[in-house]
Amino acid sequence: MSTSNLDIYMPILMLLLLGVLLVVVTVVFLSKVVRPHNPNPVKEQAYECGEDPVGSAWSLFNMRFYVTGLIFIIFDVETALMFPVVVVFKSMNEVGLGGLVLIELTIFVLILAAGLAYCWRKGDLDWVKSYQTGKDPSGRPRIEND
Amino acid sequence: MTDTIVSYLANFEPFKSFLAFLTESYGANGPTIFAFLIFLVAVIIVVGALATIGGLGTYAERKISADMQARMGPNRVGPYGILQFLADGVKMLMKEDIVPKDADRFLFFIAPMLALTGVFGTLAVVPFSSGLTLTDLNVGVIYLVGIGSLVGLAVFLGGYASNSKWSMIGGMRGASQIISYEVPVVLSILAVVLLSGTLSFGGITKAQGGWPHEWFIFHNPFTFLGFFILFIGSLAESNRAPFDLPEAESELVSGYHTEFTGMRFAFFALAEYIEVFVLCGIAAALYLGGFQVPFNLGGDTIWGQLLQLGAFFSKTLALYYLVIVIRWTLPRLRVDQLMSMCWKYLTPIALFNLIGVGLWMWLFDGKSLFTLLFKSGAAAAGIH
Amino acid sequence: MFDLILFFTSAILTVIGAILVVATKDIMHACVYLLVSFLGVSGLYLTLGADFVAAIQLVVYVGGVVILMVFAVMLTGGPHAQKQNKFGIVKTALMGNMRTYTVGGLIGALVLLMMVKLYLSLFKIYTPKELPEYLPTVERIGKALITDHVLAFEISSVLLLGALIGAAIIARPRKNRIN
Repeated sequence: MSTSNLDIYMPILMLLLLGVLLVVVTVVFLSKVVRPHNPNPVKEQAYECGEDPVGSAWSLFNMRFYVTGLIFIIFDVETALMFPVVVVFKSMNEVGLGGLVLIELTIFVLILAAGLAYCWRKGDLDWVKSYQTGKDPSGRPRIEND
Repeated sequence: MTDTIVSYLANFEPFKSFLAFLTESYGANGPTIFAFLIFLVAVIIVVGALATIGGLGTYAERKISADMQARMGPNRVGPYGILQFLADGVKMLMKEDIVPKDADRFLFFIAPMLALTGVFGTLAVVPFSSGLTLTDLNVGVIYLVGIGSLVGLAVFLGGYASNSKWSMIGGMRGASQIISYEVPVVLSILAVVLLSGTLSFGGITKAQGGWPHEWFIFHNPFTFLGFFILFIGSLAESNRAPFDLPEAESELVSGYHTEFTGMRFAFFALAEYIEVFVLCGIAAALYLGGFQVPFNLGGDTIWGQLLQLGAFFSKTLALYYLVIVIRWTLPRLRVDQLMSMCWKYLTPIALFNLIGVGLWMWLFDGKSLFTLLFKSGAAAAGIH
Repeated sequence: MFDLILFFTSAILTVIGAILVVATKDIMHACVYLLVSFLGVSGLYLTLGADFVAAIQLVVYVGGVVILMVFAVMLTGGPHAQKQNKFGIVKTALMGNMRTYTVGGLIGALVLLMMVKLYLSLFKIYTPKELPEYLPTVERIGKALITDHVLAFEISSVLLLGALIGAAIIARPRKNRIN
């Protein structure tokens, strides 16, 4: 007998629910019974090596995190599109169409590799940007200050 | 149809008659109730077992590091200190729950929950053995990547919610590191999918054999490289040294969980150790033959399943040991080294690998290097 | 029976998550609620038998888009950033004056009209039929992508290339920003 229809997703729902419940039960109820609770202003400060914290940590962050996120999401969508093609490759290869699928896949990958190469060449993949070090990875003269 | 622990157990006598009884009593709902009961027990057993392994992971980490540094390590609680993790758990439970005044209380509560939920979610598709896998989804690989990425968000939110500078930097680093290394990891998983033609972990494992030369890692030179990309990427995705920048004790105090105390911290730590186990298990299943036993000993019987469990766990724990040894051997990378390693080395190599595996499949008709070298050699010798 | 449980769980998660996204004032909380809503949508795909789309929803939206959103929030200096920039100009959009009410009301009326038109066609009495067998969808999608829709497959790669280069150019520091 095989498990039918949607019943196969049952453990996923259970596991997710268990993860939520475990935290709620222990942090909110179970631990509350046994743990002490003596707050004081110093204890409630954010840790900053003993000094009083200066300002909020929720401040402007560097652009590069966002750029990393953007590049990631494009590759994410790329792999999402590649998954179904890659899955049928083996069965297609057995009926002699492997070369065709491989060519399609190669074109797809090459176009994106071109994008990656472009970003690499232009220095978008560098964590420390060229204007910070004074070196321009593309070999062009450095953008002048004006 | 999808293989689950329910469909496996339904072949055996007490369960078969129980299923018949339920179908008789509840009609069409009988199989669902049967599946519910079995899944419930199985899920609790799996979570309990993995939580124990996660706890023992902390013990193993301390003991192995102690060995490497010629110290004793934990040796007070239980024989050889093996119950140390239970003592730690009780201690965590009794610690005061401090929430910083400026913190975001809602997200401070959500972050550890998200980490634990994401890691528990991955357990549903880990292929422990051919029969005792919770559920062997058709899209298991994609599901695992997707639900596992909740951990990245949890790391970020953990850092954000604390409203502490150390945590915030750790959280930002952690999230960008986890999403970056997901690209080479998924690409090297795709190479395996190309070889096996299925997205279910059971299917991928069954496409390999029990002997090392039948594993995908030794299938061709490209997959050999692919395994190392997957393993390095897994290290980075689980924030393990040498990629432990989000926690970086020596620069960020304790990274994204600096402000977390008591059980909230315990859940972050537990999630991390279980995630390492899951990622090692995935690497073992995809490249090292997973639960495959030589000669398929035991087959579908309970004894065969136990042998398969043994094969899976020994491979996974060997990788786990390797992960711990690496942590105490290698120094930490810098952030820019980390990022250039991902985008300038691993991702291009993984893309090249994917096409290379496809080319190998097409040229050699899916035969492995071993088959080509020895079988064709034998055939040639036979002709002479 | 479980299909009903799965459907209602996902539907409740989707709707509650979506309502909370617009109801909360804290933008970071809104991101978390959006995550809940995305998880619910993924469950809805599962109940429709589209296992591949559900899994991709998890990978792209839960794992990618939400993280990109929180990064974007951090670019603005977080939800509690000062409401004025250094020139004293208020950064948040004007709210609660005549113009916003007019524009909002018109857009609301338009959306309402469209919803009414959509839902009126659904209010037909129908009898639920036996669900068809759920089949794995990945192979069928893959076959379609490499045979009938191969052009769409390749062009999507060009689209992604455009997005990649566009993202890189927009995020690049401009000339006059360096000093």
